[in-house]
Amino acid sequence: MKTSLFIIIVLISGAFAGLIHGTVNFAIVEPYLDQAIGIENQNLFESGEEEDTPEFWVEYEGYRTWQKSGQILAGVILGTSVGALFGIVFAYSRNALPGNNDVKKSLLLAGIMWLTLYIIPFLKYPANPPTVGDGETVVLRAILYLSFIAISGFAAVGFYQLSKKLQNNKKLFALIGYGVFITAVFFAMPENPDEITAPMNLVNEFRLMSVLGVTSFWASIGIILGLFWRKLSPQKETSNYN
Amino acid sequence: MSELRQINVSKNGIPKLAILALSIVFAAGLFVVGFDQGHIFSLVYGEQAFTDLYLHELTHDMRHAAGFPCH
Repeated sequence: MKTSLFIIIVLISGAFAGLIHGTVNFAIVEPYLDQAIGIENQNLFESGEEEDTPEFWVEYEGYRTWQKSGQILAGVILGTSVGALFGIVFAYSRNALPGNNDVKKSLLLAGIMWLTLYIIPFLKYPANPPTVGDGETVVLRAILYLSFIAISGFAAVGFYQLSKKLQNNKKLFALIGYGVFITAVFFAMPENPDEITAPMNLVNEFRLMSVLGVTSFWASIGIILGLFWRKLSPQKETSNYN
Repeated sequence: MSELRQINVSKNGIPKLAILALSIVFAAGLFVVGFDQGHIFSLVYGEQAFTDLYLHELTHDMRHAAGFPCH
C-alpha cells in the first residue's frame, strides 16, 4: 500500500466531509442554537446571575460570533478526525465488504459506522441544545457517551470476527448477537442525569437537525473516500522489476 | 541487457506508520472538538485557559450539533 497516498486521501476525504457537515449545521442547526441560547439568557436575567444591560449584549455578541464562526472549522477538525478512523477501518475491511466497487463498499461501511457509532448511542444519549445540561455533570456525561460509543463499536467488530468463524447459514446469529448485546447495554447504562427544562418541541427539532447534520457527514465520507479510492487505488504498490 | 519493468501488485498489508498517524489524528481531533475544557491551551496559558475556554467556545456549536455533552 502507498502509505503517503493512503494518509492523504483519508485526511482530505474527512476534511471535505467535515466541511459539508459544518456547512449543513450552519444552515439548519444554528437557528435552534440561537433560540436555545436566547432562553438561556432569559433564565440568567430572571435568576439575577446576569443583568440585561448593553454591556452584556456587547460581550454576548462577541463570543456568539466566535462560536458561530467555529462551526465550520470545528466541522473540518471533527471530520478529519472521524475520517481518520473511517479510513483505518475501511483499509482493514475493504476486501471483506460486499459490493463490486469501492464507492459501494465505502458507503456500506459508512452506513454501518453511522448506525453503530452514532445512531445507537444517540438513542440512549441524544444531542441536546444549550440550556439543557448541567456544567457539574459534563464529565460524567462525556464518560457515559464515549463509553457507549466504544462499547457499540468494539462489539460490532467482535461480533463481525465471530461471524467469520460461523458457517454461511449461521452468520445471521452474529448480527442477532450484536442486537441482543447492545440492547442489554442500552438498558444497563445509566440515564443522562440532567433534567430537560427547555421546551420539548425545541429540543426535538434540534435533535432532528443534529441527526440530519451528522448523517450528511457519514454519507459524504462514504462517497468521497470511495471515489478517491476507486480513482487512486492506494492499496496497489508500485514495484520495479529488472 | 536488463529491461526495467514497472508493474502494480496489490498487497493487503496496511502500513503501521499510516495507522499510527491516523490514530493520532483521530484522538487529537476528537478531544479538541468533543471534550476539551481548556486543557490544550492550559499547556501555554496555565489556569487562565480553563476560564477563557477559547477552544471550547470555538467548537461549542459543533459540539452541541454533533451530540457531544456540553455545559
